[in-house]
Amino acid sequence: MRIENLSIKAVTIIIFSMIGVVAIVLSILAGSYFKKAALNAQMNSLSRVIEVASYEMLRELNVYTFDLGMKMGHSRELIQAARKHKLESNKEQISAILDDPFINGFVGFSNINLEKIRVYDLDLTLIAESQQGIEGLNKNLDDYLLKKIIQRKGIERLKTIDVLWMSSHGPMHSTLVPLGGLHLIAYLEVIVNPAFNLSDIGKITKTPISVYFTNGEPVTVSQIETKNDNYLPIQFTLNTSEGKPAYKIIGYEDVAKLDKEMGETQVVTISGFLVLSLITLIFALWLFNRFLFVPLKRMMRDMEQMTHGRLDLTVNKKGLREFYFLAQTFNLMANQVRQRTNELERLLDLDDSAIMCFGSDNEAVYFNSGASSLFAYSRDEIGDLDLSDLFVEDINQLMSQSVEASVNAQSKLNVQLNCRSKSGEQFQCEAVINSIDPLNSSGYAIVLRPITNDRGSNKEDCSASTEQSGQRMNAIEQSLSNLLEMAKTNPSLLSSLNNLEQGVTDSKGAIDNKIQVREQAVSVMLSALACWERDLSRSKLDLAEESKIWPVYIDKSTPTTRTLDKYLNIESCPKNPRCQRVIDTAEFVLKQLGDHQTEYKKKLIDSLQVLRQLISGI
Amino acid sequence: MPENIEGANNLTAEQVIELILSNPELVIIDSRKKTEYVKGHIEGSINILNTQLSANEMQKILPDKSSQVLFYCNGSRCMRSSDATSKALSWGYSNVYWFRGGWKEWTSKKLPVITE
Repeated sequence: MRIENLSIKAVTIIIFSMIGVVAIVLSILAGSYFKKAALNAQMNSLSRVIEVASYEMLRELNVYTFDLGMKMGHSRELIQAARKHKLESNKEQISAILDDPFINGFVGFSNINLEKIRVYDLDLTLIAESQQGIEGLNKNLDDYLLKKIIQRKGIERLKTIDVLWMSSHGPMHSTLVPLGGLHLIAYLEVIVNPAFNLSDIGKITKTPISVYFTNGEPVTVSQIETKNDNYLPIQFTLNTSEGKPAYKIIGYEDVAKLDKEMGETQVVTISGFLVLSLITLIFALWLFNRFLFVPLKRMMRDMEQMTHGRLDLTVNKKGLREFYFLAQTFNLMANQVRQRTNELERLLDLDDSAIMCFGSDNEAVYFNSGASSLFAYSRDEIGDLDLSDLFVEDINQLMSQSVEASVNAQSKLNVQLNCRSKSGEQFQCEAVINSIDPLNSSGYAIVLRPITNDRGSNKEDCSASTEQSGQRMNAIEQSLSNLLEMAKTNPSLLSSLNNLEQGVTDSKGAIDNKIQVREQAVSVMLSALACWERDLSRSKLDLAEESKIWPVYIDKSTPTTRTLDKYLNIESCPKNPRCQRVIDTAEFVLKQLGDHQTEYKKKLIDSLQVLRQLISGI
Repeated sequence: MPENIEGANNLTAEQVIELILSNPELVIIDSRKKTEYVKGHIEGSINILNTQLSANEMQKILPDKSSQVLFYCNGSRCMRSSDATSKALSWGYSNVYWFRGGWKEWTSKKLPVITE
């Protein structure tokens, strides 16, 4: 596609459409990104929820172990036995006391998985442990727990310590309480297996969970895991108090609702974005239209009219700065063209010779004032004239003969021509005929000088006069060429070029239209004349005289309607018929008919309507 | 809840333990409700609700008005111990201690408790 075929409006709309498409794509991408980001945020927040739930589970666990520890820590039996722990029998007694919760239960027995209860002296050496519970645990306190209690001094040692630590049997939870209450004599360690309580995390988070040891061995596995299409797995690692991984907890969040909400949010967001984009685009287009397209269209229309000769017009300068500048510059240029045209016309009018220019269809294109006065035609009538109206001789034939006799196709022909004035009177003129190329079509420029009787008797004068016409022809040729050159693009630029109002560079379509207009003009004229003659019983001459639209000529004392007659035959009808005259004639006839309805009137109305449509381009 | 009570010694949990360990004769009065006391209390404390505390009752528990006595309740938002402390001071007890943090501070520091 060539860039010249694109209008600014089309390019702007294309650009805005591209922006619109980009906006749609971006909004879709943003929506997807938003969804992904929302899922990530959801995962992070749910991971935090699981973390909080895990610590809540441990806190609840601590309540039971602390309670048990405190009860046993204040047991007089145990305290007394512990005070004398160096006796082997006391150790057995201590073990028996420590077995009691395993055998007889305790408050919260069903809520925790008690694995071991151990008693340590103040040097943190194991005194005794329960026989019940898990076997094979390291006899010493966990290193982390040991370190913590050693760091404590004085009253601080009375404070209970809870730790999650890694035993040979997996993660264990210990609560170390002072034995003897405020009067510390030893330490009591309550060991429970936290795996028993891990399922409570799911109750707190209200989501199914799976728990694995760090080696991947499952502790509890949710049924959701195998069919987790609608569930988002969220992982959290529960560490020991020392910071080592203890359990891998995976919560399964039902994301169906979240997906639905995000989908709705996405739709609303994208729709809102698109609506806003659309409104912005429409507003931008309106601004473009208001400040760019409309002034541009107005300027183009004005320029086109001026291009077709309406140099009396000026381009509307209302618009943005650039338009104002362009319009002002164009108006200045048009003004210069108008001045130049006037100068050229005046120059040709100043010459006392009759200067005429005819187009390829032998119709008059240009008459200077000398020609108008010589033939007694007004400027309005010139457009209806052709060579045969003005000259007895066939100019085309004369020129053809001249061209055949000469090598130069552009040669001038000096001849005497028999001319015919408006009144029908014939007279002789010296003529210099030059074949030219006005308006891209072959034609003739003719310079005439009437031969008086005196001149006719003087051959030398006649010869000199012919020579003078030739020289004048050369002199004015340049001006005429310039004038006609301008008339190529400005057919109505010259006041004399009446029959070029429709332009000279018609396209094929325009030519076809012109032919149709011409045919329809003839049809209207024939219909109008039929009405006039049949319905009103009047003559053609009456029509010309009464309507005052068509000139009446006197040929040998006989009034004729030469111009009107041309419009009654397609062969003689001017190639650029003066349609306004035809329409005026039809309307004049219709007006004369009044309300009288006849077949001819109907036909005339129909023809007139078709002609009007053709002219308006419908 | 006042920050301090004039005439009473305001103690923290650690200071309470030091006091208990240094003075076995210390009377600790838990001014909370019975139900709360049963759930857990400081070792050696006796439960007398502040509203039930009277001069006669105090006279029975502490005949010597120069004896050391400590009051506590649920915590800094609880008015019972401050009320009881004020009463004891008004009745002429000179060695009155007030554990303002109360049960909340005690349990938050995971100190030994007695449960029944």
